[in-house]
Amino acid sequence: MMNRLNHLPTLKIDTAQKISYTYKGKSYYGVKGDTIASAMFANGVRIFGRSLKYHRPRGLYSLDGECSNTCMQVDGIPNVRCENTLLESGMVIEEQNVKGSAENDMMSFMDKLDWMMPAGFYYDVMHKPAKLWPVAMKQIRKAAGLGKISPDFKMPGKYDEVFLNTDVCIIGGGPAGMMAALSSAEKGLRVILMESRPWLGGFFEYRSAEYKDGQSLHDRATELAALVRAQENIRLFTHTACVGTYNNNLVTGFQIGKKSDVFDQRYVEIRAKSVVAAAGCIERPLLFDNNERPGVMQIACALRMAKTYGQLPGNKAVFSIGHDLGLEAAIELHDLGLTIECVADIREDGQDAVLLKQIAQRKIPLLKGWVAAKAFGRKKVKKVRLSSIDKMMRKTLECDLVVASAGVTPVTGHITVALGTLKYDNHTGCFLPDQMPENMFAAGRVLGLNDAMSIEASGTLAGLKASAACGLGSLEEIEKAAKIVEMLPGPVRGTKLVTAPVKGRKSFICFDEDATIKNIKQALAKGFDVPELIKRFTATGLGPGQGGIPGHNLPLYVAKCQTLPDVSIRPTNVRPPLVPTLISTYAGTNHTMFKTTAMDEMQRKDGGIFRNIGVWQRARYFSEDYACKKEIENVRNNVGMLDGSTLGKFRLHGPDALKALQRVYVSDMSKVKEGRIKYSAMCNDDGCVIDDGVVVKLGENDYYFTTSTGRAGQTIEWIRYHTRYDRWDFSLVNLTDSMGVINLSGPNARKVLEKIVDIDISNEAFGFSDYREFKIADTIPVRAMRLGFVGELSYELHVPASYMQSVWLMLKEAGKPFNIQNFGVEAQNVLRMEKCHIILGQESEQRTNLLDVGLGFLWNRSKSEAKTVGAVALAQAEHDQTRLKLVGFKTENNSRAPRDGALIVDQKVRGYVCTARDSFALNEAVGMALVDADLSKIGTRLEIYEDECGDDRIYGTVVKMPFYDPEGKRMKM
Amino acid sequence: MKDIKRVSPVKLKSNPLKTEKRDNWDIVMEYAGEGGGPYLVDLSHKPRLDLQNADVGAITPFGMTIPDSPGKCILQDGLLINRMNGTQASIYNLGYNLAGQEDVMMPDETGYTDVTESTICVAIIGKNIFSICEKLTALDFMSPEYVAPFLFQGPFSHVPCQIVTLSKAGDDSGIILTCSRGYGRDMIHSILDAGDEFNLKPAGENRFSDWISHL
Repeated sequence: MMNRLNHLPTLKIDTAQKISYTYKGKSYYGVKGDTIASAMFANGVRIFGRSLKYHRPRGLYSLDGECSNTCMQVDGIPNVRCENTLLESGMVIEEQNVKGSAENDMMSFMDKLDWMMPAGFYYDVMHKPAKLWPVAMKQIRKAAGLGKISPDFKMPGKYDEVFLNTDVCIIGGGPAGMMAALSSAEKGLRVILMESRPWLGGFFEYRSAEYKDGQSLHDRATELAALVRAQENIRLFTHTACVGTYNNNLVTGFQIGKKSDVFDQRYVEIRAKSVVAAAGCIERPLLFDNNERPGVMQIACALRMAKTYGQLPGNKAVFSIGHDLGLEAAIELHDLGLTIECVADIREDGQDAVLLKQIAQRKIPLLKGWVAAKAFGRKKVKKVRLSSIDKMMRKTLECDLVVASAGVTPVTGHITVALGTLKYDNHTGCFLPDQMPENMFAAGRVLGLNDAMSIEASGTLAGLKASAACGLGSLEEIEKAAKIVEMLPGPVRGTKLVTAPVKGRKSFICFDEDATIKNIKQALAKGFDVPELIKRFTATGLGPGQGGIPGHNLPLYVAKCQTLPDVSIRPTNVRPPLVPTLISTYAGTNHTMFKTTAMDEMQRKDGGIFRNIGVWQRARYFSEDYACKKEIENVRNNVGMLDGSTLGKFRLHGPDALKALQRVYVSDMSKVKEGRIKYSAMCNDDGCVIDDGVVVKLGENDYYFTTSTGRAGQTIEWIRYHTRYDRWDFSLVNLTDSMGVINLSGPNARKVLEKIVDIDISNEAFGFSDYREFKIADTIPVRAMRLGFVGELSYELHVPASYMQSVWLMLKEAGKPFNIQNFGVEAQNVLRMEKCHIILGQESEQRTNLLDVGLGFLWNRSKSEAKTVGAVALAQAEHDQTRLKLVGFKTENNSRAPRDGALIVDQKVRGYVCTARDSFALNEAVGMALVDADLSKIGTRLEIYEDECGDDRIYGTVVKMPFYDPEGKRMKM
Repeated sequence: MKDIKRVSPVKLKSNPLKTEKRDNWDIVMEYAGEGGGPYLVDLSHKPRLDLQNADVGAITPFGMTIPDSPGKCILQDGLLINRMNGTQASIYNLGYNLAGQEDVMMPDETGYTDVTESTICVAIIGKNIFSICEKLTALDFMSPEYVAPFLFQGPFSHVPCQIVTLSKAGDDSGIILTCSRGYGRDMIHSILDAGDEFNLKPAGENRFSDWISHL
């Protein structure tokens, strides 16, 4: 294990605390504060993985997870970004996408076959002959790809979510972000500060250069962080990457948990009044041959390896840079012991004079107007060829580290996903914010600034603007802050160089997808002249790095190739998640939110097998026999109990209650009599039936009605919508959850019920379609209805939900002599199907109208058409012979029932099976189907096609409905 | 008659230390291990009414004036009235059966519906309760724009709820939450799960009575 530099104030590691991990089956140690990547680097690992297509070796590059170079499998989870993931004790780390090992990958020969895989080769090559594609696809998928995951892999860890509200949300905890936070917080506003790294400080945090008056940038970062932490109204979220920004300043992100947190990762959703985008810059990769070879890394990566993790990134380095940060890094790393062979600076002039002097004092050779052209070394860098930009001079130097960067480029994803725009800035050579989204303000290096004071001042200004957007602050102070920014140094001149003077066969513009600048040229040659098209044709920027590496190089290179007079081309769109994270994090805690009835627990104890049905969990079966033979036969021959509490239940009262009923129900609701039930249906404006249920009259202008389970959630809105212009005075109350429902059904139902009630429930006193209110034991109020949905003597008892268990137990006790049994939703489904009682949604679909399902008898034509929803459409559809009709059918030759949804066919599709079951009561398979009108005649033979049935068909014959007890004697007994 | 009882939709797994029977409800007054807060208290037995009228603002239920705009609430002698919209208000009798409080019966006027059975009703009181809430909802309880008591009608753990904030005063903060009774099991699970890191524990009605009496 490498000896660490442990005297630096910028270190984020504690070398005294060792952390063990396993890599490829062997134990290693890192230290507290290490990322997986820094710990592995300390243990000599330089090749972390192999690339997607060509299986090229890949190593540390950005240290911020901007590419997939260091994606590995950790504790079984593929594609973990090891540069960003803190090392934890006991981690098991494996290489991915290698045959053999990352060091010796048997697939590395693919690198020689790049000529076979030009840009878009899968479009060009694989479609002819077509037969080749399935074979080739399998092989390509075997050879390519990043991590692998099994479909039944269970994600370990704890995932949480939090929904925050704030006045100002600041993205980026660097100096600009912290200054913005402080200036907004001083106004008394609520501020949230998000920082993707585990600590604050950003661009200042790891640097020893002077801030002011002898204070280092690192010390300044520490000072600002302390000020931020001291503000009670700033909520700090470190290790929290922003993944999206949306309309109305909705900001999303994910936070990595600390040991003390109750989550491993949590999804963060922030609703802010204003946003400050201060995410700083990343480095623009320098394009040269083998620019991704292990040993090539960006400036901040090399510097932070030393300053943050206490490791020299190499022994002998060559720098190829285009920014003063490169000079500063060379000086700092030299002073820490790194041998620097040479600094090649793209710039001929414009360097900071102080830095030049320090370079000279250290006798570091500096080549102005030079750039790295090619890195050598099969697996790791062994030497590098430098070239003057005009290609006149060349020089090859031995080294094991190439620190390479073309310059910096602002992190603008947070601005553009919120529909802000960028504009190329000729001075900085960067795409800078142009039109900002409403109430979003940019600050710091995002604006192209580099000077420490300017960065901070821009943060203050953005904080003031954000505060003003929240209604606090004055124009004067904003103007004053703006003047301060103006007086400080503005953006520095940036380099325009995109690529070294090379052909580019092995110059990678996108590491994740193995896309080279040669591929870009190939795409351009095929006429793809816009980055968005090139991106898709070459897959550039489509990898897990979310376009971080190619992001701004692609449009710059395309502009260069097209010799555009100005860079009017824009970077390609980025989309959330701006930083990749786990799907589990998006899922969050994922609480299951289902409704249960008051009988849920008791039914489970009775062996109920539950299913999710809409928003409810309901007992569908009471045994493993999913045909429910015993449950059905018990209801037909004895007595059973069903929990029907999910039924929609409503109270409609007030002077205009009847008018509202008349509007939405197709029947004449003035005929609802006290003590009687009225069954009716609701249609939409197209006459399509949307709901059915019963209505009872509780008193003067006071009604109680039921709806289907699935429709309950929309009923109030539906009635209010259809009476919105009438100014009627009525009130609607949803009592669905308030009242439980017990359906007591079967020939012995009366014998059971009469044991627990005090009223006369004989057929004469409480007949079919009657409604009664009574109390059980002088205590429990019950609304009872004589209905016959399952085709037997039935009582539907509506009971206050809190009393449901008591009534249920009373009925159970009373039913003991009869061996009363539960029955579930599936048994009910079969029972009512035998009786041809329809369930809307099962015997209907969106286009099915009232007449199609045979409920035309409910429609009262004497009501004024304009006043009943759907009546006009029903009148038009009444003589339409082209509509589907609901028919009953029996299968031929005693064959089994077809599956629900099976198609009725001849030469074309003629309808479909709504419900069909093997009937135990009838001893044959029966069902209902919606068929073309000409197939609805009794005796018509139906050909039924099931999924994957091949040439085998089921045949049925249209018969009269209902199948069971056609005279309805049993439910009226 | 002894078998007749009303069952709350809220099931809390702690062991009851003291219970009372009222109107066939078994009400837990104190649980074992209630801790130092925050607390989750089942109030589902407290009577709740729905009031609808085209001119609801002109009605004075139990002699109280209904707040003039939606979202506003009034708490007086344990009676909480929440203005829901232009024509509707909800009324929670939080003082029901509390010592010194008179029970409120259903008013004779039209427009009222007893909706006690329709919803679960819980109080979440004590320290850090808004940190628990923000794990379950995007509603902004801590906005200075809202002065307690105020009503939110919106999603809590993805379920439509009425949530009345009665206090935002640090460790004495408290909300009353109602949602469809059917969601009781899962709502309680999600609240306790979210509150676990803050040591949220089930508590008996005594905790609530003490707390509300100090408001």
